[in-house]
Amino acid sequence: MFAFGDYNTSDLLWLGDWSPTWIAFLTVIGLAVLAFSAYDLRDLKLHRRLTLIGLRGLVFGLAVLLLLEPALDLRQISKVENHVIVLVDESQTMGLKTDDGESTRFDRVRQALEEFGPLEEVGADDHHFDYFTYGADLESTSRSAIDGLEPTARAADLTGAIEEVIERYEGKDIAAVVILSDGLDTGAIGRRTARGEDLDLGSRQLLESLDAPIHTLAAAGEEGLRDAAVSRVLHDDFAFVHNKVSVDVELQAIGMGTKSIPVTLRRDGQVLQTRSVQVHPEESTYDLSFEFVPEQIGKEVYTVDIPHYDGEALYENNQHHFVLRVIRDRIRVLQVVGRPSWDQRFLRRLLKRNPNVELISFFILRTDRNPQVVPQDEMSLIPFPTDELFRDELGSFDLVVFQNFNFGPYHMGRYLGNIADYVRDGGAFAMIGGDLSFASGGYARTPIESLLPVNLPSSSAASAVMDSEHFNPELTEAGDRHPLTQLSFDPERNREIWADLPALQGTNIVHGATDDATVLATHPEITHGGEPMPVVTVAERGEGRVLAVTSDSTWRWGFEHIGEGGTAREYQHFWSSAIRWLIQDPELKLVRLDMHRDIIAPDTPIDATVRVFSPDYSPAADVEGVLSIEHTPLEALTDSSAGSAEAYDTMSFTTDHGGEWDLDRRFNSPGVYQFEAQVSSPAGPLSDDNLVLVTPDFAQYRDIVPRNDLLERIAHATDGYHAVLPDFRPRRLQFNEPRFVEVHRREVVQLWDNIFLFLFILGLLGAEWTLRRRWGRL
Amino acid sequence: MDRRTFIKSLTAGLGLAALPGSVWAFDKQHRITIARLQYPGGNDDPRPGALRRLLQEVDKRTSIEVDTNIPSISISRTELFDYPMVWLAGDRGFDPFTDDMIADLRTYLLAGGFLFIDSAEGLSEGPFLESVHREFDRIFPDRDRRTLSRDHTVHQSFYLIDRPVGRVDVAGNFEAYFEDNRAMVLINGNDMLGALARDTFGNWEYDVSPGGERQRELAFRLAINVVMYALTVDYKADQVHIPFILRRRNWRVD
Repeated sequence: MFAFGDYNTSDLLWLGDWSPTWIAFLTVIGLAVLAFSAYDLRDLKLHRRLTLIGLRGLVFGLAVLLLLEPALDLRQISKVENHVIVLVDESQTMGLKTDDGESTRFDRVRQALEEFGPLEEVGADDHHFDYFTYGADLESTSRSAIDGLEPTARAADLTGAIEEVIERYEGKDIAAVVILSDGLDTGAIGRRTARGEDLDLGSRQLLESLDAPIHTLAAAGEEGLRDAAVSRVLHDDFAFVHNKVSVDVELQAIGMGTKSIPVTLRRDGQVLQTRSVQVHPEESTYDLSFEFVPEQIGKEVYTVDIPHYDGEALYENNQHHFVLRVIRDRIRVLQVVGRPSWDQRFLRRLLKRNPNVELISFFILRTDRNPQVVPQDEMSLIPFPTDELFRDELGSFDLVVFQNFNFGPYHMGRYLGNIADYVRDGGAFAMIGGDLSFASGGYARTPIESLLPVNLPSSSAASAVMDSEHFNPELTEAGDRHPLTQLSFDPERNREIWADLPALQGTNIVHGATDDATVLATHPEITHGGEPMPVVTVAERGEGRVLAVTSDSTWRWGFEHIGEGGTAREYQHFWSSAIRWLIQDPELKLVRLDMHRDIIAPDTPIDATVRVFSPDYSPAADVEGVLSIEHTPLEALTDSSAGSAEAYDTMSFTTDHGGEWDLDRRFNSPGVYQFEAQVSSPAGPLSDDNLVLVTPDFAQYRDIVPRNDLLERIAHATDGYHAVLPDFRPRRLQFNEPRFVEVHRREVVQLWDNIFLFLFILGLLGAEWTLRRRWGRL
Repeated sequence: MDRRTFIKSLTAGLGLAALPGSVWAFDKQHRITIARLQYPGGNDDPRPGALRRLLQEVDKRTSIEVDTNIPSISISRTELFDYPMVWLAGDRGFDPFTDDMIADLRTYLLAGGFLFIDSAEGLSEGPFLESVHREFDRIFPDRDRRTLSRDHTVHQSFYLIDRPVGRVDVAGNFEAYFEDNRAMVLINGNDMLGALARDTFGNWEYDVSPGGERQRELAFRLAINVVMYALTVDYKADQVHIPFILRRRNWRVD
């Protein structure tokens, strides 16, 4: 037996397995029977006819009801609590003071959370309150734990927190989400939605997917806030030297009244430009941009800063530092050619096809020996601009190539010293052979001779300066591994490749290499002082590099090699590598100091490696070197009186078997740390430098003006409630009713399986039969 | 010539004469020459000696040093690649090239070789040019033959040329096949070598029409420009030359 009092809900069930078609069919049958009865009983008085039809209809209805097998589903149930998700912003800006000057934004949140106690009690049967904090990540917590928390997170990824909630509560019942924040979302919604703008479709769809209202409680208003900030600096990580660079700056000013704020751009602490921005109370965000031209390759620390004003909420956001890597744009090559030749033609073709090369060519098309039989204005010749090339513009070239060029006829003797200085200051120079080159070009005892990696014969007799025989240059040991001549990593295979190349035709005679030069390929027969004569030779000269190729027929390595069934790859590789090596492509430096991150936080391990190579580019193991470190305080980047670069530390190192040494250091003091790695080599000291900027992460302080408009729009998009603390009415927080129940007890009572119902139907049939007989019908 | 100059010249002459043969050879190997292509059927040397005349003129007027020995080579890979510039001339139709010749010529041109085709027919569309077009439809079935514009670099590689002329003036501008921006084949219908040819006594071999001796001089200039173009390609298209060239073209009276 059961008692209805044990159950608090019920449902009517139909247990009969009848399809709707059958039910419809039975209904039609019933209606047909009643219609037939009405016709059959048409001669009876109306009340008798209706009585009999009513009895028959009732019997038929009850019979159909029996077939459908009605039952009562009785259940004892209780509701399952759904979730009220409370998200508390614990980012750094929540620690800023509010307009009362005493409590912080986070204090306001703590006060508001006190109101959640009664709320939890009132809705204890229906809702469960889940508390989370969010910064860069979502963390589960409790209301009491939040009381003792300090906001220190360096991000406030509200969007990420919402996405995480959606994932964690998938398939669960959410009553509502309550967000307590200053609205400074560093996540996607905050970035996509500018101040005063509506949420975009993607953000709205994300919020609506919660299927619950989002209530937003803003921690503070803008009232009383006074701050000027360099809120955003947009710049590329790389810039090209001698090319204009744009840096876009967003300035934020609130509570600053009407005034002009100077914004200064500095490079390595030196003022580059200053712009004034007129701020006024009606607007809080101002955009401006700087344009400048980096003058040298390397890393530079730039700073955008504004003055400190009294009463600002904080000063950490008044400056923004960034590191710009200034790299070479296109390699500017000056090709000077004494006369048109196939060697010149194929090298020019190669250089012109290289998108990274900007080629400036000057060919001597006519000399004094050629009579001028045609008026000058019917010719396309231009003067050879020696002054412009070798005095004014020389420094703008990355590489100067003298290809079978003799300087004498063009009165260039006075510029040769400039070229030598240019190379020693970091430039590059290549001399390619021919009858106008090396000694036969008159370069002996000129500044160019001291630059060349080969010694020139003092005699100018043709037999002493040139040889005409065909030959295949032979690689030296250094040539096996040097990037210029390394066509294969396997030295044996490399030599085979070189041996298979077409022979060169003729060479200039040189008297060996200079002491500090590296010979990569030699003549197979001609010797000097018992040593094979160099054909391809390289050397370092001061900060620069030089190359000497004593033949003017390397073009045959490309063109003629194709005729022999080969490719031009070897020719292209040789010259492309030569250019990269000459211009000191960072990938080809013998000492490399690689800093894998430009900016790090204090007390973070620095990720740096020193790599040392032998002149032939094999790893230089067990090489001793010195790493010196200079430190410039961060303050000195905006105030020269705050200090300057000072020696910080000096460390000795020895490279391992792979020619590497890893630097394992941490720096606590913010500032710029400049490193220089030095090793000694037969060619003199080699060095490389790099820097790292150590600075606390102030990203969260870039924009501190509360974004209550964003919070309001989030609430509005989900029919939630928005309030600015401390004005908060807890009763306005509406929660969804729980959608799920828990069944504790259940019983199904069949209504059709009952003798009384059966007897009742029989009684009705009997009454119909009796009345019909009495009223004269069979 | 005074006595001092005479002694200097004599000394220099003796010095040069005393140089070993290998030095002359070295001197020779960097000199520029043009190979003449032999082909089956037709007449591949309709203007004997004219190419040598052209190179002599190049040597006289420009800084280019030339070797006036004109090799005559077959269209084969083994010979083509010794000469980055080759010349194909004719005055009548010729037989189709073999498949190997077609393949070798295509490889040669795409690798950086340069071919100048000169019709001695004096017709804008004669049998020789028809044969040339037929063969080049096989060599470059994937490339169009294009007519050079007046401002193409070949018209300003040394002299400023307004109109390409030769012994005759019937064909208008050169036609060309290109690889990127480089014209690797130039086709001329105005008999350029006809204007340059001299007989063994040094007299001009053919009259030049309709422009007479002025036209012959212009043909020389054009021929020199072609050699200069083969060596320097688009050098005169470099930005540094453009203001000078524009200024001079504006000065000129056509």
